[in-house]
Parts: sequence; C-alpha cells; structure tokens
Amino acid sequence: MSKLIYLGCLSTRLYDSTCKNAIKIIQFLDSEYQVIEDPPCCGSLAFNMTSDDVMKKHVEFVNDWFKANKITELVTICAGCYSYFTRYYKEFLDSEFTVKIQHFLQFLAEPENLHKLNLKYSGNNLKVNYHDACHLRNSSVPVIEEPRIILNSIDNIELIESVYNKTKSICCGAGGGVYSIFKENSDYNAKTIFDNMKKGKALLTACPFCYTALNRIRDENNIKKPVIKFEDFIVKLIEGVDPIS
Amino acid sequence: MSDKGKELYNKVKSKIDTTQKEGTLENKFGMFWKLASNMKFRQHELRYLYEDSSREFVEKYRDQLIAMKEEFIQNMDFYVEKCIKVMQEANNMTVYLAKTNEEAQDIFMKEIGETKVIYKSKSNEAKDIGIIDVLKKNNIKIKETDLGDVLVQLFDYKLPSFGIGPGAHFTREDIVAKIKEVHGVELEPKASAIVKFYRETYRKELLNDVKVSLTSANVISAEDGTILLGENEGNISLLTRATEKHIVVCGITKIVPTILDAVLVAKLQTRINNVSFSYISLIAGPSNTSDVQGERVLGMYGAKEVVVILVDDWRTKALKKDKIYKDLLKCVGCRTCNYACTASRAFGNIFASKYGLGADGIIRDYIHNGIEAAVKDGLFLCTGCENCRHWCPVSVNLGEIMKSIKKEATKAGLCPPPLMEYQQKILKEKNPFK
Repeated sequence: MSKLIYLGCLSTRLYDSTCKNAIKIIQFLDSEYQVIEDPPCCGSLAFNMTSDDVMKKHVEFVNDWFKANKITELVTICAGCYSYFTRYYKEFLDSEFTVKIQHFLQFLAEPENLHKLNLKYSGNNLKVNYHDACHLRNSSVPVIEEPRIILNSIDNIELIESVYNKTKSICCGAGGGVYSIFKENSDYNAKTIFDNMKKGKALLTACPFCYTALNRIRDENNIKKPVIKFEDFIVKLIEGVDPIS
Repeated sequence: MSDKGKELYNKVKSKIDTTQKEGTLENKFGMFWKLASNMKFRQHELRYLYEDSSREFVEKYRDQLIAMKEEFIQNMDFYVEKCIKVMQEANNMTVYLAKTNEEAQDIFMKEIGETKVIYKSKSNEAKDIGIIDVLKKNNIKIKETDLGDVLVQLFDYKLPSFGIGPGAHFTREDIVAKIKEVHGVELEPKASAIVKFYRETYRKELLNDVKVSLTSANVISAEDGTILLGENEGNISLLTRATEKHIVVCGITKIVPTILDAVLVAKLQTRINNVSFSYISLIAGPSNTSDVQGERVLGMYGAKEVVVILVDDWRTKALKKDKIYKDLLKCVGCRTCNYACTASRAFGNIFASKYGLGADGIIRDYIHNGIEAAVKDGLFLCTGCENCRHWCPVSVNLGEIMKSIKKEATKAGLCPPPLMEYQQKILKEKNPFK
C-alpha cells in the first residue's frame, strides 16, 4: 500500500464519527487510500519544547514507519499534523522525507475531486464562516484558499469572511500545547472568533484543536451558532442532511 | 521536571488567577487591554485618516522596509561607523558607542555629572538599556514628561503597560482622585481638565528648569547622522530645545541607511498605530548660530550639547553568533506585536516583563536576565500562532523565537508538568494520549 489516511491522535481519541466521515469521503474519491491502525504521532505537541536532536530522532522514527509501510502519499485531517509534516519534517530530513503530504482540504479542493463529489445544498442560501487555523495558514505550503474554493463551489452556500481571516485570523488559544496548561487563553480568543463572524450561521473549522477550544467556548457561553468540522459538514451535504443541524 | 519548574508554573497560574479577580490591578489592565487591543486591531482596516488603510500602507512598503532593515543588519558595523563619524564631524555631537548596557550606564552617569534630576520622554530603549534602573540606584530623580508616563508615576504603577499609551488604562475618575490625593487639587473627571492641569502646572517647569534631558530616538539616519523623534504632546520638542544638554540613548539598531529610510520608518510607526505625529524633530546637532561675523557658536536658544550613546549590548552578538533572537534586530518598534498577540490579548500585563508587554518584552527579559525570567513572565502562554509575524511590518517572527526559548526552558527543567507528560508520551509511546 502506498496511500495513507492519517487521522491524527486528537481526532482519533475524541472525534470518532468525524474520522469515519473523513475516511468515507477520502475513500469515495480514491479507494487506494487506507487507514493503518495505531500510527505513530507526528510529534506536534512536542515540537515546541523538545530540543532539535531529540526531536530529530522522533521524526526519523516516524519516517522509518512510513518507509516500512511503503507510504508515498498521505492525506491528514489534522491541521497540526499537516503543519509539522510540511514545515519541520522537511527541515529535519530534507530529501530523506519523500512522502507527499496533503491536508484534507487540499485533497478535496482538487478539481477532479470537487467534480466527483458534486456537492449541493438543497436549502435556501446558507451563510457560513470558516475559521483559518494557525497550523494551516502558517505552514510552509499554506492552506488558505482551498476551503474557500470548496465552499464557493457549492450552490446555496455563502462563505462569510470573518473580520479577521486568512493570515490575520485570530488564534483560538489552543496552539503550542497551551490548551493543556492555560485554557484561559481560549476563554477570550475563541469567544472573539465568534464575535467576528458577522452574519454567518455556523463556524466551520478544519483543525481538531480549534474545534475543541471553539466548541467548549460555544457551550460555556450558550452561543447558538454551531461549530462544525469540515468533514462532518461535507458528509451531511452528501447525505442531503441539514449540514448545520 | 525540577522543583523550580513546578514553582514557576504555579506562579504563572497564580498570576492568571489574579487577572480573573475583579478589582486587581492586573484585572483592570486586562479589561482595558482587551478593548484597546481589539480597537487597535480593527483600526488596521479603516480609512478614516487617509485614503488607504494602515494595512494597505504596510503592505505597500513591507518589501522595501524589510530590504532596508536587512541591508542595515548585514552591514551593521559599516553603518554604525558611518553614522558616528558624521555625527561627530559634521553635527558637533558627542557620540559614544557602548559595547554593553553597563558601559552605556557608566557613560550616562558621567555625562549627567552632578545633575540630580533627569527629565525624560517616553523611551522603551532606556528600560532595555537599564538607564532607568541605574538612575534609581543612584537616587537620581526621573521626571517623566509624556502624560501617560506622568500618570504611571503619579500612581506609582509598577506593572508593565502598553508602550504607546502607558497610562491609558487609568480611568478619568481614578486620575482626578489621585491628583486630589497627591496635589490637593480638585478636577472634573474629564480628559481636558486633566490635560489643562498639567499644561498649567508642568509646562512652565519644562520650559525653565530642564538642565539635562533624556530621549531615545525613533530612528537615526546613518548618511547624515540625523536623529528623528516623533511626538504629539510637544514634550520632546521642549526636552530637546529648552535644555542645556540633550542625551540620546538607544540601541544601534535604531540606525537606518538614509534619511528617507528614517522618514519611512517614522511614517510607518504612525500609520500602523493609526496615530499621527504632530511634531517630527530632525535633530542634526546642538543649537548654534553664526550670526556674529560668521563665527559659529554652539548653544543659542536650544540645547548646548547633544550627546548620543549608541548601545550594542546583545545586538552584534545576536547577528555574529547567530542567536535565536537575531530576528529582533529588524524590529522598528511599532508595538503592533503587542496587540496582535493572542496571549497578550488574553492575559494583558502578566504576559510581559519590565521591558514591555507581550513576546517582545519576554524575549528582552530572556536576553538580559535569562531563561527563568522568561518562564516567570509567561513564556509558555505563547501559542505560537505567529500573529506577530503576520502583523509585523518587517515580518519579525517572535513566535519562532519563543519556541526556541521554550526548548531551552525544557532543557533547564522549566517546562510546565502537563506539557512534559505529553512530550514523554509522544517520545516513548508515540502517542500523547496513551
């Protein structure tokens, strides 16, 4: 096998149905993509605090695992994994790292995939916001336009740009492992992200870290607008279910 | 995980608790800062002052600014030498190049002689270089002149505040109550009444009593040794004219190649903060006249002497030893990183050091006081979102510097325990949640 669906540790642990949805979409578009049980963590939570020599050993371990499983391409649904694979694995391993990395949004936004999916929304004009995750906008190959291409391709879905978007988006407060030690960061910043949505009815995100922080803030503040993971949104559209229910 | 690491982690947690308690200084500042930073954020998009927004202005000049700063950094020795030569030979300035902060402090103390009162304008550089600390140590009275700093002194406020508006978090009511307590004068709680009070009581003193004044420089042109100082209040105009000796203390990275570069940096500092300088002073020497038979005499109505203390300290070392903080050499001091920062917006002045708010303040504390100081300042509150880089007009990546400092903190056993647990699980179990 050569094509891997890399779900990431956080989604695997917390968001099983989203993982299933992602697998369903990816395999519908390319049946060669497979999941391997218990892959090693990309190491994203450790990068911020671990010395380069120690981190390099971990990166080599993961790369060896890819080689052992003959992985040549992977699609990940985790913004953190995407960021670290594209930004730091190349730095540590240079030409030794040969796996083609794609984030789910990049994969989806490929014209032939969008054509094959033929996404439609049967309801009236639905306004949604997309939250630009730091991991996606900051990576060495930024993922910024792809979610916009996808959303703008769907009839009756209107993308509302938040006050701060793309490279100037507000961080949810969960990056760098901060969510595990100082949640108070997201108490303010994630709330601000909702405040900046303008007329959007739902907030889409393609990052499980952002989702975790945003959804907690939504619950704690009784915010009516739902936070929806991109994979879940797409599956609901495919199944003809109200995507923001 | 060392005991020190646990202790610092708990200290930061306890500081966060303080920000959540209503009525504490940290809470009051935090409330102000959330509003102020959000307002500053939004202003980037507005076109109410000029035809273009500040974001458009920055984007227009970003590449030019970065190229100019990089040209300076790559040829730092050349430009510093050139600047000093022209200041000494053409501008009649007394110029020193201090290798360290301590050397700068010694030169400064010698230059002020027997003076026991120093009048100063707002200067973050003076903090970075340790001039404020050495003046306090030597019992020299520091008289602030920027109204924001005057208010900070009035309240004896010790916590970090916003470099551009250091007293902006005090309410009108609190200010007039404090003025009544300290000066025995009752004022209406209005900004205009407070300004009038200081204009009537302090302006005379600034016009008549200043012997030695201290300013930094917004930027200095290497080609002609001109010091550019921007302001709104007029205090810098008074401090640089109505004085006997004007002392400028700043880091060598305030130098740019040309006078046009200097004007661009000054313009950027105003545009990015949506303010305008009422006055820009271009100081190219002491006051002088040649009106008596062409003989040049220094010290007509303005300053008799202009002394410039250029400080290297960490700067050349950062470049030549490829230090993790060398990107900071590009900084133009606009302070945008303060309010673009996720952690700063959430945590106010507990994510800060005595050198200022945010990652910039913490990195400077790390440079001067080491890794423990940085952890205590809230190093691990940084999410690494890199908003600082995206909003910075010269793309300084403070997030990447913070990441490198975090790695050093971990080596020193100062990483917060929950993060260490994740790290260990990733490295050993290959999964953070196992």
